[in-house]
Amino acid sequence: MKLYIGGTAQGQLDIARTENPDAELFPDFHLLIRRLIENGKDVPASLQDFCLQHPDAVIVSDEIGCGIVPMDSIEREWRQTTGRALCMIAARSVQVTRVTCGIGQRIK
Amino acid sequence: MNVLVTGGSGSGKSAFAEKVIHALCPSEKLYLATMLCRDRESEIRIQRHRQMRAGRHFITLDCPKQLPSAPVPRGASVLLEDLPNLLANEMYEDGHPDNLLTDLRQLAGICSNLVIVTGEIFSDGIAYDSSTQEYIRRLAHLNCTLASFFDCTVEVLCGIPVPLRGTLPFPV
Repeated sequence: MKLYIGGTAQGQLDIARTENPDAELFPDFHLLIRRLIENGKDVPASLQDFCLQHPDAVIVSDEIGCGIVPMDSIEREWRQTTGRALCMIAARSVQVTRVTCGIGQRIK
Repeated sequence: MNVLVTGGSGSGKSAFAEKVIHALCPSEKLYLATMLCRDRESEIRIQRHRQMRAGRHFITLDCPKQLPSAPVPRGASVLLEDLPNLLANEMYEDGHPDNLLTDLRQLAGICSNLVIVTGEIFSDGIAYDSSTQEYIRRLAHLNCTLASFFDCTVEVLCGIPVPLRGTLPFPV
């Protein structure tokens, strides 16, 4: 498994595609987490299954947790749950890359 | 040693900060808890953090504001969690936000080891009301100032520590 993260439109998707042309790629992972929350799913359990089913996946996500804590509880939960989900994916990944200004920085 | 730990929501910064202070001081140490318990959500959060700290010899002192009022003995090892909460309490709960930097410097002077958890809240591109903008500006200033004299500043991303300045004397 590999993870690419960055702020909105920082180029993480392009870099992920270029570096992994043949991989099974999951873009907008933060939106997938949002859908899980909205559908009332157990996110950690769903992620466990996901990791078992897609051990070689390339995950691409926006970093959404670096703002003022939102007043709305669903927005709050989304940010925190996405953050924790990315910790979980990163722990299982052989490589984690943070992308800023289109520049990939390998942090694992 | 003074260490500043920053990161976004759910980044794993607290778990990392706890490991750092435990590595610096495996024996008895203080946990300065700044969060006011006002609802079920904060109750769950506090409970979760308590579980994370269990078995690591932490003595918890509640300190939602007014740092000098916390009985921190000279030479103590302290984990302060967290600065965004402490600042919010000083600003919005009848505190003295102007004193915070002096109080933090004083605390750093008293402690043998001080680890402060702060937060990255500066990148959502939203123009907030003037009070929130003031909060953001104050927290940014505190982060920059602390980082300028602390031994080490680390950003935690997806649970991975990324050193911004200085190095820790041990692997965490």
